[in-house]
Amino acid sequence: MPDNRALDGTIRKFFSPDVGIGIARYILSFAGVLILGSILIMAQGEDPIRAARLIVYGALGNLVAIGNSLRWAMPCMLTGAASIIAMKSGVINLGIEGQMYVGAFTAAVLGWAVRLPPGVHVVVCIAGAGIAGVAWAIVPALMRLFLSVNEYVTTMMMNFIATLFCDYFVVWMIIPSSGITTTTAATPPIASGARLSTLIKGTSCSTGLIIGIAVCLLVCILYKYTIKGYELKQVGENLKFAKTGGVNVKKTFIIIFVLSGFLGGLSGGVEVTGGYYRYVSGFSYTMGWEGIMIANICNNNPIGLIFASIVWGGLKTGAMSMERGTTLNRLTVNLLQMFFVILVSINYEGIFRYFADRMKKRRQARRFLEGENRGGKSACSGM
Amino acid sequence: MNGDEYILEMRNITKTFGDLVANDGVTLRVKKGSVHALVGENGAGKSTLMNVLACLYKQDYGDIVLNGRHVHFRNSRDAARSGIGMVHQEFMLFKDLTVLENIMYGFEEKTAWIFINKRKTKRKIKEICEKYHFNIPLEAKVNDLPVSMLQQVEIVKVLYKGADIIVLDEPTSVLTPQGVEGLFDAIRFLARSGKTIIFITHKLKEVFAVADTITVLRDGRVTGNVRPEDVNENELARLMVGREVMLQADRSARELGGVFLRAEDVSVRDKDGVLRLKHANFDIREGEIVGIAGVAGSGQQQLVEAIFGLSGVEEGGKITFLGQDITRAEPRERRRMGMGYVPQDRLGVGANALGTVWENSIMGYHISHGFKSKVFLRHKEIDEFTGRVVSQFNVKTPNIYEKLGNLSGGNIQKLIVGRESIQDNRLLIVEDPTRGIDVGAVEFVWAKMLEIASSGRAILLVSHELNEVMQLSDRILVVYNGEIFDGGRYQEKNDREIGLLMLGGGESDAG
Repeated sequence: MPDNRALDGTIRKFFSPDVGIGIARYILSFAGVLILGSILIMAQGEDPIRAARLIVYGALGNLVAIGNSLRWAMPCMLTGAASIIAMKSGVINLGIEGQMYVGAFTAAVLGWAVRLPPGVHVVVCIAGAGIAGVAWAIVPALMRLFLSVNEYVTTMMMNFIATLFCDYFVVWMIIPSSGITTTTAATPPIASGARLSTLIKGTSCSTGLIIGIAVCLLVCILYKYTIKGYELKQVGENLKFAKTGGVNVKKTFIIIFVLSGFLGGLSGGVEVTGGYYRYVSGFSYTMGWEGIMIANICNNNPIGLIFASIVWGGLKTGAMSMERGTTLNRLTVNLLQMFFVILVSINYEGIFRYFADRMKKRRQARRFLEGENRGGKSACSGM
Repeated sequence: MNGDEYILEMRNITKTFGDLVANDGVTLRVKKGSVHALVGENGAGKSTLMNVLACLYKQDYGDIVLNGRHVHFRNSRDAARSGIGMVHQEFMLFKDLTVLENIMYGFEEKTAWIFINKRKTKRKIKEICEKYHFNIPLEAKVNDLPVSMLQQVEIVKVLYKGADIIVLDEPTSVLTPQGVEGLFDAIRFLARSGKTIIFITHKLKEVFAVADTITVLRDGRVTGNVRPEDVNENELARLMVGREVMLQADRSARELGGVFLRAEDVSVRDKDGVLRLKHANFDIREGEIVGIAGVAGSGQQQLVEAIFGLSGVEEGGKITFLGQDITRAEPRERRRMGMGYVPQDRLGVGANALGTVWENSIMGYHISHGFKSKVFLRHKEIDEFTGRVVSQFNVKTPNIYEKLGNLSGGNIQKLIVGRESIQDNRLLIVEDPTRGIDVGAVEFVWAKMLEIASSGRAILLVSHELNEVMQLSDRILVVYNGEIFDGGRYQEKNDREIGLLMLGGGESDAG
């Protein structure tokens, strides 16, 4: 028994106190998605097993497939990390999408309009993107601190401002001045020195992946091994506790927004320097929002985020292969991804406890009644 | 035994919450027209039993027999209609409504089924007030009334709803000694008028003053049904806690050193701009325990918040700590200087229920004297410090990585007190340090606090248990309506004199 306890303590130390529930949660949710998915695919007259095989092959079948899967995992890691930082500290940053756009726009402009030596250029572009994200995130932070405006509303509204603002600049300032004729609202390509190098040849998987993984690891270190991270977590879990404990809540609050906004902007910068090589209007396809969902799936665990992102990216690539091989639309996979998010968010622990409690009470009542029928007086001491 | 003479019988009531058995086959028989005391320590299951009676909880099994008939209430309204009236420990009143509106709420007299007939309702309530000698201003706003008056409002409320059995859940915890006398007079009068009173308390003196019959609960079981004339206080205490207890702090004389904290003309306004603390002046010296007594809501909270830096101080006020002006310093700065704080609200302010035991243990310590590194968490140091809190204060937890929310309330309280005590703070602000912990642990915490004071530190003790303040404090300050009055040195004034001050019967200014 004591050994068991020590082991239990070790597990809790390195994972989280509720690691068992976490595993059960994924197994149940995955089973749920498999069932729902099978029904959905069969309803459209296709074979679910074949569809699944095509998805897996499309995602992992060869080096190109793997590279593409990793390429789409990259933005998920960055936007997911941005979301985790905010959520772990009790702030809801719904503005990652907007921070991503201003980041991407800044990187594209810096990459096209500025001339710098190759290595430095990339760094400047990406750093500029991060700073643009911070600038975009600091507005809601200040509004919350000084005007008590809820960040739910402000971060979300800032998204629309960001996307439309960037498009406006591209269409009315950059395209006319660059003298090129184009049918898409996009900036001219960035200089080759401002591009991240390719990691896997023949695919669009760039060194941005390394940035993504590094960011996840840094977030993990921040929360697990630093005093600042400890304070950030306490602010998120109980603000009053942190305040009386001596945490400077206002300062911490600004830090959260700055970090989250920086990562949001960074994700846009990496998309431009490592993926599109220019700013394209509407490039993100809700990648900023998916970051929030993935953060939710991995229960705000930054290491879990790396794996969740890879699965997410794999599904994205696999869905295209499924679409080519069957009559199914790739939105089917999208739909199932959303189902998974919902299923994972269910409070299984609470449901389990409710039923366990009810069963126990019924058992006790039965035992009690049996005892009474046998004529034995009950345990209580009456008058 | 003849069952007819009982107005209420609760038989074999069992109620569990998860693994916790709050009531384990409890049987309670109450005679009509009697005052029945239900006594037991905090957490013995008294309130649970009464909440089952009022149908706020459903029992797992067991029967309720009212006036000789089995009853199955569907909801609390149903219970109220059958004549069960409950006066809760925390008042259930709408603060912004008038007394009249509060009393009639849910049971209004109506014209044509839909319109409230205020005049008729008021007449009815007035009749009740006259019949039972309650003198309350019906048109006054609840917010403007003192606590003892609110209690009367609650009683009239249940009488108006037609209660025959009135349950009073720890009614004296918010009252001064004088207020308690008034309440007892009211209880005796109600009993004479044919109402039945169930009186929940854990204070023995009150039981002997007012009860006809006593039922003792311990750990969810009945440990005795006695009459007050048949037992003495010690015997009753033994039934309650299972052993003899003498709650007396073991004090030894201490040398007082220099001034640690000085408050000069400190005034605090609350969120609504109301002045809740008025021109407080006092000192706390090295090695001293200064106790703050007062009826809840007299300004203690504002006083503590001002000293710890959680709320701003009005212009002109000044707080000096260890010779430095800290009037505008953040709590972080004050912690760094060696100020600790045990808040009254354990889970809301004092701890993070979602965090682990160690995360809760190192809060404050990581700032004040803290760890060697200012950037990284060293788990070795954390384990060592947490281990000290857990072992010295006997916190029951499987390991220090356990989620704090899984610990019991008493253990959480011990952890918070332990965390703040072990940090080597020069001044410790402590609010209700023994709330909700068992008697053995109370003695332990008291001893620890005296030990801290003798080791050259100081304590500001704010407690709603007058006995605690009187036992521990070297000097007592009484707050009344935001003003501070001198309550004398240790044993200089008795509880009646301090009670009078708590009610506003003093004229001398602060000490």
